[in-house]
Amino acid sequence: MKISGFKYLANQGIENIWKNKMMAFATFCVLLISLLLVGGSALFYFNMNSMILGLGNQNEIAVYLDPATEADRVKAIQTELGEMDNIDSVEYISKEEAYNRMQNQIQQGKAIFSYIDSYEFMPDGFKVTVVSNDRIEETTAAIGSIEEVESASSSPQVAEFLRELRKVVSVIAIAVIVALSAVSMIMISNTTKASVFARREEIQIMKYVGATNSFIRTPFFVEGMVTGFFAGAGAFFITWAVYRAIFRILMEQGTLMRAFGVGSIIPFDKIQLWVALAYLVVGALVGALGSVVSTRKHIDV
Amino acid sequence: MVELQNVSVTYSSGVDALNNVSLKINDGDFAFVVGSSGAGKSTMIKLLLKEIDATSGVVTVNGYNLGKLKKRKIPEFRRTLGFVFQDFRLIPSMTVYENIAFVLRVIDAPLKYIRKRVPYVISLVGLHSKTNSYPDELSGGEKQRVAIARALVNDPQLIIADEPTGNIDPELSYEIVELLKGINDQGTTILMVTHEHDLVRHFGGRIINITGGEIVFDEVITGAEQILPEEELAQAMSEAAAMANQNGIIIPDRRIMTPDGEYAGSDLNGGAGQ
Repeated sequence: MKISGFKYLANQGIENIWKNKMMAFATFCVLLISLLLVGGSALFYFNMNSMILGLGNQNEIAVYLDPATEADRVKAIQTELGEMDNIDSVEYISKEEAYNRMQNQIQQGKAIFSYIDSYEFMPDGFKVTVVSNDRIEETTAAIGSIEEVESASSSPQVAEFLRELRKVVSVIAIAVIVALSAVSMIMISNTTKASVFARREEIQIMKYVGATNSFIRTPFFVEGMVTGFFAGAGAFFITWAVYRAIFRILMEQGTLMRAFGVGSIIPFDKIQLWVALAYLVVGALVGALGSVVSTRKHIDV
Repeated sequence: MVELQNVSVTYSSGVDALNNVSLKINDGDFAFVVGSSGAGKSTMIKLLLKEIDATSGVVTVNGYNLGKLKKRKIPEFRRTLGFVFQDFRLIPSMTVYENIAFVLRVIDAPLKYIRKRVPYVISLVGLHSKTNSYPDELSGGEKQRVAIARALVNDPQLIIADEPTGNIDPELSYEIVELLKGINDQGTTILMVTHEHDLVRHFGGRIINITGGEIVFDEVITGAEQILPEEELAQAMSEAAAMANQNGIIIPDRRIMTPDGEYAGSDLNGGAGQ
């Protein structure tokens, strides 16, 4: 096919949208709703995931050193910890601070402290937070292997629970997304079929005058792609508006909501490029393929 | 050229639509195909368009052996044909110009050629003033003229017209056939399927009658307005009369003329088939 031929067919595709505006509008709406359903579910899933991860990052490793460790060595260990893999932050807790904390915690038996004249028996320690909660056990073990470290402990149960929660959320989210995608494909397929059916005679005439299948399909491909692209753009702007509104409302909530991980909701600015790309590409592809596949039935004359 | 050699078509339902049909239409011929509904006319057209395949026999159209024609070669074959439908089948969203130019777009013709050829063909069918009209704005006769222009635009070797006058006023039917005759005079082979006996009687020419899936009559008959050498006329008329009695077709409203110029009897057809 010559370039001028392709240009003609592409123009035909765009003209067809206008000429068959009612059917094009129906296809646009169905694509828009489908994209919003699937896109919304995906964004909900990503945010749940991010929130669970955020909760996990609050999990800490408590590190205690041998009380006999020299002050220089303590400093060296702090640096060493800071350079280790999967470590987010390292907070030094001195013997004195640990002693004071212990005093505050044991309110009722305060008398016992009158027999203790020094905090030297207390170990130096660190409060370590991790980057990935999934690897907290591995990180705890690595810290434990440092010679002066007497104990390094985390709550793997919390990590385990969060891991399980993520798994369940992932399975449910993927099932919902797959189901919605399937429903969307059926809706899109039926709409494009109806759109093509309305023009089956046109297709037959083209066949009788000797048009090749690609000649017939190209305008349908362009038409579906352009409709899908606009549906993608529409879906993006709706998502943008709704997402930002919800984000703002949740961020205005108090600390209680933050405790549930609301602070980990992904700001739209961070993902808008990917969301736009996904909507536009998926919209255009599904629109084009749906349209072309639907011509197959009528093209065989 | 169209050639059918011992062609039979049996549908999957078991119906024998064509039964051992042999036929040859030479380049430049004009032939009417007549027959009642269900006689096998539509099946023959479908065969010639390679919409269906023969169950047995050989179908050759414009040098293509349709039984051996590969699917991907069908568009190439169809470009050697022009086709006129009873219901016009114009694309409603395209203007007259676009409907006709479309055929040339299909064959990737240069834009310059399209711009020259399409107006020429439109003027041939007398629709110059309707170039930018949409099919909905045209009368039945005008629509069929557009359809004929579309069939003509890529200069096909053969035009198949399936009941081209079926959906238009009787007086306009004559114009349409005149138009097709004019195209035929330029050398294009024309095969016109019709059940309008008045038209066939008026124009005469080669008449192929299909009945029950078989060709029961295939002769050249002169029209009322045409004068043939008397010998030929008498011969044709007597054969036609025999066929008319047998098959109920209408033949020209003429008397048999003997070789020595005498009339051998009164009206032959006697209203047969009406």
